[in-house]
Amino acid sequence: MRDIFLRRRMWRRRPELQRNYDAVIIGGGSHGLATAYYLAKNHGLTDVCVLEKSYIGSGAAGRNTTIIRSNYRTPEGAEFYQRSVELYERLSAELGYNLMFSQIGHLTLAHTERAMVTMAERAEVNQLLGIRSRVVDASGVKELCPEIEIGDTVTWPIMGALYHEPGGIIRHDAVVWGYARGADRLGVEIHNATEVTGIERSNGKVTGVQTTRGPIACDTVVSCTAGWSTLLANMVGVELPIWTSILQAFVTEPVKPFLDVVIVSSQMHVYISQTDRGEFLIGAEVEPYSTYSTRATFPFLEYSARHVLELFPQLGGLKVLRQWAGICDMSPDYSPIMGVTEVDGFIVDCGWGTYGFKAAPIVGTTLAELVAAGTTPALIEPFALERFYDDLPVSELAAAAVSH
Amino acid sequence: MTRLPPRATERLDRSQTVAFTFEGRTVQGYAGDTIGSALYAAGQRIFSRSFKYHRPRGLLCCSGHCPNCMMTVDDVPNVRVCAEPLREGAAVRAQNVIGSLERDLLSVVDRVAGPFMPPGFYYKTFIRPRRFWPLYEKLLRGAAGLGRVDPHAERTGRFDTEDRRVDTLVVGGGRDGLKASIAAASGGESVALVDENPEVGGSLLLSETGVSQARKLCEQARRAGVDVLASARAIGLYEGKLVPVDCGELLIRFRAERVIVVAGTAEQPLVFPGNDLVGVVLPQAARRLVNHWAVRPAESAVVITADDTGLEAVEDLQAAGTKIVAVVDLRQREPRAIAARGRRGAVTAVEIDGQRLACDLVVASGSPQPNYALLAHAGAKVEHDPARGVFIPTELPAGVESVGAAAGLIGAPAVPAASYEPARRRPGKSFVCLCEDQTTKDLKLAINEGFDSIELSKRYTTVTMGPCQGRLCHLNSIRTYAAETASSEASIGTTTARPPWAPVSLQLLAGRAHEPARRTALHHRHREHGAEMIWTGEWRRPYSYGDPAGEAAVVHDAVGLIDVSTLGKILVAGPEAAAFLERIYPNRFGNMEEGRIRYGVLTSDAGRIMDDGTLARLSPNEYYVTTTSTGAEGVIEWFEWWNATWQHDVEIINVTSALAAVNIAGPSSRELLGRLTDLDVTAEGFRYLDAKRAYVAGIPSLLLRIGFVGELGYEVHFPSPYAVDFWNTVLERGADLGVDVFGLEAQRILRLEKAHIIIGQDTDSESNLLEASMPWILKLDKDDFVGRWSTEHVDRRGLMTRLVGFEMDAAQLPLEGGQIVENGRIVGRVTSVRRSEAVGRTIGLAWVPAESAQEGAEIDIQVDGRPAPATVTLKPFYDAEGERLRA
Amino acid sequence: MTFLLLCPNCGPRAVEEFITTGEVTVRPTAAPSRRELSRYIYFRTNAAGSQREWWYHRHGCELWFLAERDTRTNEVLGTELPPATRPEAG
Repeated sequence: MRDIFLRRRMWRRRPELQRNYDAVIIGGGSHGLATAYYLAKNHGLTDVCVLEKSYIGSGAAGRNTTIIRSNYRTPEGAEFYQRSVELYERLSAELGYNLMFSQIGHLTLAHTERAMVTMAERAEVNQLLGIRSRVVDASGVKELCPEIEIGDTVTWPIMGALYHEPGGIIRHDAVVWGYARGADRLGVEIHNATEVTGIERSNGKVTGVQTTRGPIACDTVVSCTAGWSTLLANMVGVELPIWTSILQAFVTEPVKPFLDVVIVSSQMHVYISQTDRGEFLIGAEVEPYSTYSTRATFPFLEYSARHVLELFPQLGGLKVLRQWAGICDMSPDYSPIMGVTEVDGFIVDCGWGTYGFKAAPIVGTTLAELVAAGTTPALIEPFALERFYDDLPVSELAAAAVSH
Repeated sequence: MTRLPPRATERLDRSQTVAFTFEGRTVQGYAGDTIGSALYAAGQRIFSRSFKYHRPRGLLCCSGHCPNCMMTVDDVPNVRVCAEPLREGAAVRAQNVIGSLERDLLSVVDRVAGPFMPPGFYYKTFIRPRRFWPLYEKLLRGAAGLGRVDPHAERTGRFDTEDRRVDTLVVGGGRDGLKASIAAASGGESVALVDENPEVGGSLLLSETGVSQARKLCEQARRAGVDVLASARAIGLYEGKLVPVDCGELLIRFRAERVIVVAGTAEQPLVFPGNDLVGVVLPQAARRLVNHWAVRPAESAVVITADDTGLEAVEDLQAAGTKIVAVVDLRQREPRAIAARGRRGAVTAVEIDGQRLACDLVVASGSPQPNYALLAHAGAKVEHDPARGVFIPTELPAGVESVGAAAGLIGAPAVPAASYEPARRRPGKSFVCLCEDQTTKDLKLAINEGFDSIELSKRYTTVTMGPCQGRLCHLNSIRTYAAETASSEASIGTTTARPPWAPVSLQLLAGRAHEPARRTALHHRHREHGAEMIWTGEWRRPYSYGDPAGEAAVVHDAVGLIDVSTLGKILVAGPEAAAFLERIYPNRFGNMEEGRIRYGVLTSDAGRIMDDGTLARLSPNEYYVTTTSTGAEGVIEWFEWWNATWQHDVEIINVTSALAAVNIAGPSSRELLGRLTDLDVTAEGFRYLDAKRAYVAGIPSLLLRIGFVGELGYEVHFPSPYAVDFWNTVLERGADLGVDVFGLEAQRILRLEKAHIIIGQDTDSESNLLEASMPWILKLDKDDFVGRWSTEHVDRRGLMTRLVGFEMDAAQLPLEGGQIVENGRIVGRVTSVRRSEAVGRTIGLAWVPAESAQEGAEIDIQVDGRPAPATVTLKPFYDAEGERLRA
Repeated sequence: MTFLLLCPNCGPRAVEEFITTGEVTVRPTAAPSRRELSRYIYFRTNAAGSQREWWYHRHGCELWFLAERDTRTNEVLGTELPPATRPEAG
């Protein structure tokens, strides 16, 4: 309680930009800040700066739909995200900042036999890895979510779902701010409104970055710039198997508690949760063309509304308050691309598609280890960029067309 | 219901009273009232309780934009009653209160808990112990939210969507909007004008002379051909100049060459202690109450205004008999301190520089902010104008224009102070954001904590994120920031304007559902047979007719009939048809004899399996290609895409819906077919993998002798209109042979017994031909084909995994999707599994490590959480030599 | 998905009527190395700016065509039918 009255600054006022750092992290989102935090905390590396072209959390970290889960299809993915969930569970206490992680449970609906098989497969993979997921039938769905429509008068009747008990939602901005505060207190510098305009290399090694506030010398650069990864990698001559698109979401006006489980339907390209503020937070799938424009689109509202009402006809009178779009890098196999590249000292963290936010703690932990120790942690070995040159994708693609 | 004498500007039809209930009591109003005006006329002053502190709130804007009058109407939460037309019998309830609006038990929050609830307090509390968080959260969640959704509500009403194209769309029907529309229409353009109010005319409608001017302009616009739409609210300006317009139960999606935004301004509250008390209003609220609904807003009023709008309110109030206690025109005199005082949440006096003025209404407004939201959606820049203290749109994108006040023509209002809080004495709360109950103190706290950019602050304090979406708080929050950080508003900038411009209901956005659903020509026959229908892609298909195992037995023992009309059917014809197919498929088709059939698998250029089907050569230049049920469109698009580059002389024609297809399969199928056609159906006359054209049951048909289900069988393709006739005839003529229908499930059992794969079930988006155990498809002795190089590289790399058959004890039944484990580690997965009565074992297909892909290899499959032994086989489980098939 | 696309056959239409397979890639002409093949299959230019891409008028004339689009603004700069001379693309 005492903390409410503590008017301590969250972070220092903007420091001067130094002319060199041990490591430069590009991108002040959840991944960049988490990496900075764990570099300082786990490895004692504090001569580190985070460069953010806008303000912290202004990109995907502040635009996602805050769903946390680990019920993935591939063993590689499930194991990785499970570690992330475990870190998230302890993170509020560790950072001394309430991230409002609510493990209210996560239902991935199946409307077809095929989807039921996919759910069964995910449940089997998850259970073997100790992740709490199980398949429930339509009446099981109704039990977990009494408000949902399970009748067969709708276009896509619900056959069942994958129920993932530890899944839930978190306050996304709090994650950003908590990591920023933690990193700042350990001595990492966070520079808002500082855009990287170039990356210097010499003899296949990174030597520094150019910014809108002048050059910086460094031999390690970590690019945590979801959405803009290709452009950053191009600065240093690294090619990526990524296309960029937008993912959209909207919120409704706040109402009293109605829904206390996360609902996802791949068939209907929609996911729904109700925030602690009472708003329904609804998202869909990425737009099927590449774009860097974050202008929201209207058809997204129309089809999402149509699908939400199939699941929750009670919400017809509820009004949409605000819609937005965030940009994502889409990788060919829907799995991330993390780790070293052919340019020494240039580390990528990209290709997260629509899953990036869920992974922030484990990304931070593993990338910090990579930077500090110079070797790739086993957990992220499957996600190396090299896998595409070797034609060894880690396919989450078949897991579900929708990604939350 | 006390009203002023009839006025020329009023919207009321006094001959018609309308009764509704408010909190269970019956209240009367007139036709033309809004629920809000009727309640106000009936003496109601408190309309809501605020989000966080549960402070009483009354009408503020009276134009449907602020949060102050939100109630639940006929179980729909968060209805802004000041703009909601009154309708007979409406059930209106207060929301977010325990008790009543007048005595809300939760208002204790305001008095007691206020200091404990600065912005973001929840981030700093409830952290330990972790297990208590769900409990705290429940309390927080219960306190948040405004109205309540009725969990039993059903979808009612009919909502439609319409597309319209015009040369010019004018958004806003005030004087300037009407004039702009007339000018455009006079130039010969097709023009529509939309306005969110029930009548066009904007602020003209607030005066007697204005009303006649508005009606004249409206008449002139209509005569010029303008499509004038009232009660029509533009909710956004999207890419491609798409402007969706909310017309209540109709959503019109306008596409225009030119959009002219004439959306006027939004009046802005002044920031001072007590500025949220009931009775502190914006000028338009007072003016609308008097002019539209003939209500005297109060007994006595003090007016504080930055421009003429407040003075206009003075005139209207005086005309309504409200005593004007004082008028402060900020252009002439700027007070240092203003504070409103109240009793039970309603204003009783306002103190201006220490002078106490008793009143029950305070009309207070700052400089009006141009409504630039739509322009900003379209990409316009927005800049701060220090001379007038507002944000003005600049650099409009092509095809987007703005005129009038929305464009910044707002005269020369005074620039009010960020706040008028008295320097000393205990001030009350000065609200910057009413939706979220955020005060100047809250914003200052946020700044001091380091949330020093407007976007960060917005996220931390949630200012501008409530139901008004910043309309009444955006400007004041930026002013507060500028004042507190001693910087200019220009350097702080705005937050991004996000659509929709005003809240829009899900039911309107949803319109009427029109999801794709396809049914075969035999759909109703299946229903009559008692089929259980399921979705397969867009298609509805019979899962079974009640007894899948029995249906499979019929096919093994006698003859069965299945509707396979959902198969994709494509004609590939032209001089280069063979060359085209050779290039797009890994297998060979150029050397096929006429009248023969070959199985084909399509791969992507990455070598991944995409679809499969049969190809029959009908003539040298004509192939009949079938695809999977869900694959037809994709395959045609794939063919067309490659040929857009290759440009082979070939036509690709989709005949999927034109033709029905029925598979007649089982040992007696030859005899049955023989009864229906003149064709030589002997084993020699009609060989396995022959394609023949003939009349079957009098219907012109293409017959394919293939065997997906593993028994002697014929797939008959014929024009869809004959389907029911064909089906009935076959059943009738085969009755003595024991013919019966079978569904998808029986087909799955049968094909699995033959280890025939189903694309998309046994393969996924990563499967290649070699690992899927189909090397025989590949013909490397021909030229380049799609997927060749990738497949060759897989061969060079070596196989890592393989699709194989497995058998296990019939007592064990793993799931489809079940995992294959080795020392507790996942090494593979089951894609298909059934208990086969014909085989007497549990059989299935699975992906296993390549080294396990040997006849008789032992693997472990998880069954009910425990590994169970299974044996790998590379042969079909049933009729391994294919004797029955080729019989 | 709101912008307009100029179908060479049907004129300007809402983009929902179309599908795209993304940027035009260059298919290797001879048996490529694993690395060359991977670059063609997986790697993309992903330009922030003008991009040449394939579009298909699925709910219209069912024609594939090429478009030049600015991915920063979604402005369609031009569209054309594939040239009669066959560029090795895919």
